Amino acid sequence: MNGSIIRYILGQVLKIEGAFMAIPIITAVCYGEFEGFYYVAVSAVCLILGILMTLKKPKSNTFYLKEGCITTSLCWIFLSFFGCLPFIFSGEIPSFTDAVFETVSGFTTTGASILSNVEALSHCSLLWRSFTHWIGGMGVLVFLLAIVPLNGGSHINLMRAESPGPVVGKLVPKLRHTARILYIIYLILTVIQFILLVAGKMPVFDALSTTFGTAGTGGFGIKTDSIGGYSPYIQWVVTVFMLLFGVNFNAYYFILYRHFKKAFSMEEVRAYFIIVVTAVGIIMVDVVNRFSSFWEALRHSAFQVASIITTTGYTTTDFNAWSQTSRLIIVMLMFVGACAGSTGGGIKVSRFVVVVKTVFKELGSYIHPKSIRKIKFDGKPVEHDVVRSINVYFITFIIIFGISIFLVSLEGKDLVTSFTAVSATINNIGPGLEGVGPTGNFGGLSNLSKWVLIFDMLAGRLELFPLLLLFHPAAWRDMFSRKRQ
Amino acid sequence: MGNTKKTSLNIIIVGCGKVGVALVEQLIREGHDITVIDSDSQRIQEITSTYDIMGMAGNGASYSVQMEAGIEDCDLLIAVTGSDELNLLCCTVAKRVGDCAAIARVRNPDYSKESGYLREKLGLALIINPDLEAAKEAARILSLPTALNVDSFAHGLAELISFTIPEDNMLNGMSLIELSSKVPSDILICAVERGEEVHIPSGNFILRSGDNVSFTATRATARKFLKQVGFVVNQAKSVMIIGGGKTAYYLAKQLLNSGVAVKIIESDRARCEELSILLPKAVIINGDGTNEDLLHEEGIANMGGFVPLTGIDEENIVLTLFANRVSKAKVITKIDRITFKKVISSLNLGSVMYPHYITSEAIIAYVRAKKDSMGSNIETLNHMFDQRVEAIEFRVDERCAVTDIPLKNLELKKELLIACINRKGAIIIPSGQDCIKVGDTVIIVTAHTGFNDIENILR
Repeated sequence: MNGSIIRYILGQVLKIEGAFMAIPIITAVCYGEFEGFYYVAVSAVCLILGILMTLKKPKSNTFYLKEGCITTSLCWIFLSFFGCLPFIFSGEIPSFTDAVFETVSGFTTTGASILSNVEALSHCSLLWRSFTHWIGGMGVLVFLLAIVPLNGGSHINLMRAESPGPVVGKLVPKLRHTARILYIIYLILTVIQFILLVAGKMPVFDALSTTFGTAGTGGFGIKTDSIGGYSPYIQWVVTVFMLLFGVNFNAYYFILYRHFKKAFSMEEVRAYFIIVVTAVGIIMVDVVNRFSSFWEALRHSAFQVASIITTTGYTTTDFNAWSQTSRLIIVMLMFVGACAGSTGGGIKVSRFVVVVKTVFKELGSYIHPKSIRKIKFDGKPVEHDVVRSINVYFITFIIIFGISIFLVSLEGKDLVTSFTAVSATINNIGPGLEGVGPTGNFGGLSNLSKWVLIFDMLAGRLELFPLLLLFHPAAWRDMFSRKRQ
Repeated sequence: MGNTKKTSLNIIIVGCGKVGVALVEQLIREGHDITVIDSDSQRIQEITSTYDIMGMAGNGASYSVQMEAGIEDCDLLIAVTGSDELNLLCCTVAKRVGDCAAIARVRNPDYSKESGYLREKLGLALIINPDLEAAKEAARILSLPTALNVDSFAHGLAELISFTIPEDNMLNGMSLIELSSKVPSDILICAVERGEEVHIPSGNFILRSGDNVSFTATRATARKFLKQVGFVVNQAKSVMIIGGGKTAYYLAKQLLNSGVAVKIIESDRARCEELSILLPKAVIINGDGTNEDLLHEEGIANMGGFVPLTGIDEENIVLTLFANRVSKAKVITKIDRITFKKVISSLNLGSVMYPHYITSEAIIAYVRAKKDSMGSNIETLNHMFDQRVEAIEFRVDERCAVTDIPLKNLELKKELLIACINRKGAIIIPSGQDCIKVGDTVIIVTAHTGFNDIENILR
């Protein structure tokens, strides 16, 4: 295990976090808020610690998958720890557990909150909360790869561990350029949404936080009723952009380079839109009586579907009050999640597509037991290894899910609350149903449940295995045996 | 993104064998954008996790695979699969689709004879034949057995020769100034490897025994100089080659042409018969080249040169160690795999050649020359001492910042030396008064890397 490079990368990440805190600091200056002081202090600590940790160049650049996974998990834990400090110091979220929950929920783009009255927070804290979504959406290590020159090709292991999806590939030969292209696309989309929101007469501060929340598919609202209080135009803009940020970013790369055919023939993106349209259709029919007009029903069902499938978690209406059918569809969408290579969470559409194909292949093999058929995806055969890893992913997901529900159920909440609390966090969505529904929050849970959910959020964002590796004794044995020498 | 100044080339490499990997390793160090294509997806997976490149599984000669690998924006396609025909097809397709430069590896002697014709008709930038290049290098070393390594420049007029200073040699403890007064000769010592370090020496640098010294000179002066300082410089008169592969064939052919007796030991009977038809003057032995008795029987003790060219590195190394023990023959070890280089160099095998590096040097010279350079062009490039020193030959086509100025007035970079100037066939070992003129080719020895223009030598 190469401990020195892990230290070096952690240091770089802390420096980046320190720099990112400039955003709440500027906000605090604009609004003349005293809380900004805490951000300055934490930012300084991050920068100093970061500089100290990167003072010594790593001894060697060798970097394998296990280092990639461990670095990524540690980075996210560090990020969350330092990110929650301003909340504690300023007294806005005095409890350590709550502050960690809120920050992890931010970075993992979950958007589940323990606050009952969001509007009481200072502007700088609100913006920091939303901004953590933006950082976490595309990933802080991808950002690091885009700006810090790291030698060696093995750093793709960092991106593999952080970026969602069963197979992580590059867009261009150099990792650094790939990371840069991803962030450029991310930034362009963010700016467009911001402009459209401001054009819809949304206040600049609200527009900024909403954009950050949408871009990262996070979903922290700055109002207690989330997006419900804004005009239909704004709700439509947010709907469309939530869906756009849930699309595999490779599609935008193809469009940027005018390979339109490639972009529109991406199987995952097609499946994603088919699911969205179907879900909107069913919910529409189901809830149309609850709203005064057809368009209003369409708006609300489209918004909720987009919000849940992209794992954003904004709401415009209390879908907890909808009929059982619609509620069930919402829960099902939670698991599907967005496309791989997007900023969204969940299990990912591509995994479902492959699994469905595997099922059909298995059925086929009952009819022609000796037939050989490879599963194809985007016209290319899927390697057995990929299929296997997807299957294992599903199984691991179910196991973690089961254990989490059991632990959360210990405090005696009803089944729907426990179930959706776990599914809303492990899939990085935010609101669940009943007790943790759009109108409720996670504040009422016990500390044990909160820690379980914190784990689930991180596990969901990092796609289980990088985080699980932290608990594998072999990952640490190396580290300590090295120290003893 | 398109308007940024282009400093790196888009290169597609088809085939991830040993040469492919050696190429990736070297080209990535020069900062190019590389995409590799190989039919084995497992191998692609491995290479993309080690190097910062993009990988694609597929048939490199297929139009759609090349399109997906981005042939349209590609500057250079290098085909180094195991099959000559596939390599040529890859390049032909690439020329039609992407209009990029193409380099093919062609090893079969049948095509190799026609490589000039093929290159012209298929519009290829370069046809490389690692076996032939390795054979050429081996032949050069055998013609000067004292040398560890002999590289040729200026179409063979000048040579860059490296040798080790033995314990009892007169050079031990001599500074370079002393050397030039005691042994007046038109040579220039341009790099010295001592232990782990490499020096580009100045006048008061003192040589020690055990140093690996490189110098430039013409063929004749080099021999005269080595004789003066006490080396035997006779060409090996008889050479034994183990293994009858393509390299062995090329090497035997060259040696026979220069009048050297050649004995080839090959275990495959059919191949022996083929070789005996191709090389009527050589002695072909059908037997196991790793059999100690057979080697004794065939007179390894009295050979002037011994070149193990089996396909297995370990066998080659063991044969070298054996030959060093039982005979005084000059031994050249061929190593195919590029791993464990440190261990191999600590074995003190003497002359070691890596055919894959010879290949990639030729390609890198081409790639560097392809990068937009002003008025000068790279002719050849050689790496020395584990790639820590480069010897580059530039052709100066136009007036530029270094022409017509006496060398002593040029502000040169540190760790750099102008080793040799070739002016219309006359080799000049330069002193401070000489200057570079338009039309010259200039050989630079430097510890810097990445030079692609003669003006890079200036500070």
